Amino acid sequence: MESKEAWQTTGDPHVEHARDDPFAAVVRATRMPMLITDPRRDDNPVIFANDAFLQLTGYTRGEVTGRNCRFLQGPLTDQATVDEIRDAIATSADIKVDILNYRKDGSTYWNALHISPVLDDAGEAVYYFASQLDITERVEAQQRIEEQKESFEREVERRTRELQVVLEDRERANVELHDAVRAKSLLVNEVDHRVKNNLQMIASLIVMQSRNVADPEARKSLLAMLERVEALGAVHRRLYRSNDMSRFDLAEFSKDLARDLLRASNKPQVRLEFDLEHVEVPTEGAAPIALMVNELVTNSLKHAFVENQPGTITLGVKHVDGNFVITVEDDGVGMGRSGKGGCAGHDAKDGRAHPASFGTLLVEALGKQVRATTQWHAANPGTRVEIRWPHAMRPQ
Amino acid sequence: MPPSCDDSQDDRVLHSQSPLRVLIVEDEALPAMLLQGYLEDAGHEVIGWATTADEARELCLQRAPDLAFVDLHLADGLTGVTVAREICGANHAVVFVTANSRMLPDDFAGAIGCIGKPYSMNGIQRALEYLAEGMRHPPPRCLRPSSLTLAPQFERRWR
Repeated sequence: MESKEAWQTTGDPHVEHARDDPFAAVVRATRMPMLITDPRRDDNPVIFANDAFLQLTGYTRGEVTGRNCRFLQGPLTDQATVDEIRDAIATSADIKVDILNYRKDGSTYWNALHISPVLDDAGEAVYYFASQLDITERVEAQQRIEEQKESFEREVERRTRELQVVLEDRERANVELHDAVRAKSLLVNEVDHRVKNNLQMIASLIVMQSRNVADPEARKSLLAMLERVEALGAVHRRLYRSNDMSRFDLAEFSKDLARDLLRASNKPQVRLEFDLEHVEVPTEGAAPIALMVNELVTNSLKHAFVENQPGTITLGVKHVDGNFVITVEDDGVGMGRSGKGGCAGHDAKDGRAHPASFGTLLVEALGKQVRATTQWHAANPGTRVEIRWPHAMRPQ
Repeated sequence: MPPSCDDSQDDRVLHSQSPLRVLIVEDEALPAMLLQGYLEDAGHEVIGWATTADEARELCLQRAPDLAFVDLHLADGLTGVTVAREICGANHAVVFVTANSRMLPDDFAGAIGCIGKPYSMNGIQRALEYLAEGMRHPPPRCLRPSSLTLAPQFERRWR
């Protein structure tokens, strides 16, 4: 004879007591793990566990029946979730939670637990019905996604921090560079200012000295010196006006200088002609070349045209076969004989009364400095001087 | 009378060959002496030499120059532009003489123009000729020398 409670201790749907109850049969046979507890008994014990539950947890029916469900909890079970369940049971409320449970063998699974009270007519809970679902795979997949997301976010954060550091470094470097450029520009400005002022002072000294010199030859000499200083001054005025301070526009400079010299010479009968190409030389060559042009044009102005003899000075600045070539040619009194690559000097006989003058020496020496060859030709009439140096000019 | 620096007023014309009465505003002795020499060679009268902005104001009040040559850098600092503006405002003409023309304001503080240092003998002489002509018989007939840069407003008026 089956006991009244035989249905509680069997999974067999054919157990007599509940044989006619299709609902009980369903609970027994369903693949969803299910438990029924009795809150009216001490500690709300399990009074029925179906086969699916036993299969899931690894317990036998005997091991489960009569115990409170807390045996499913373990060390990693979330206490807050457990408290939630306890509170729901205390208030006879429905609850649906995901909780980490433990099998008999100690392994864990994620349980989507749904507990509902079964109320009597008085509204008191007579059973609790717990359906369970192993959602370990879903939760773990979720956790993996969370972990990947977190690790991805951490990586993004790390890269962002790195990038920020790089950007901050770059920003700092930019500021430093900007400051350095500014400081350099201020310094260049200041040095340029001083150089110009000092050149003006030197010119001032020479001019004032010349005013106090009675001897006309000494005075001429001082004024020739002034012109040389002025030629250097013109280089510096032009240097700093250009944006690229490493290159110097020789053609434009030579034109201005020659015009300035002609006007200063007081020889309105002399004409200037130009044969110019755009020629830029490295800045370090500017001063010596400017001085050479100054000497040659001055020499022609002073010595080629005696008295009020009219004439033309032709100034050429060009590129020829990988060379810079400056030519100064006049159609005045020639120098009598042509010299090659050296200082021919000017014969007193033909009016060029400055043999091996300081100016000529200067041209030779400066020419050597910039690796130029200087050739003096008799041009019949007049004189033609050519200064030529290779493009790869390296001042010593 | 000095020509006006104010665009709205017409140039007032100086007597044809009367010397210009010139104030030099420059902190360094040698350039000041040199400029004075060139001015006197050209027949002008140097009525004073100021080394600071205050001295320049004082001399302008006392001596009413036709023209002041002003350096940017004076003994009391970078006060050239400020004092030039005041001098122009008081109806005296100004020309800057400086090694630092990059620091000039776009309107040249009302000045006629600027002569860059170091200038050559020919450069300053021609600039003085041109300026004297511009102040006596504007616009000047002779060609503007490259030693003198005109302020934009004089570029238009003295074209």
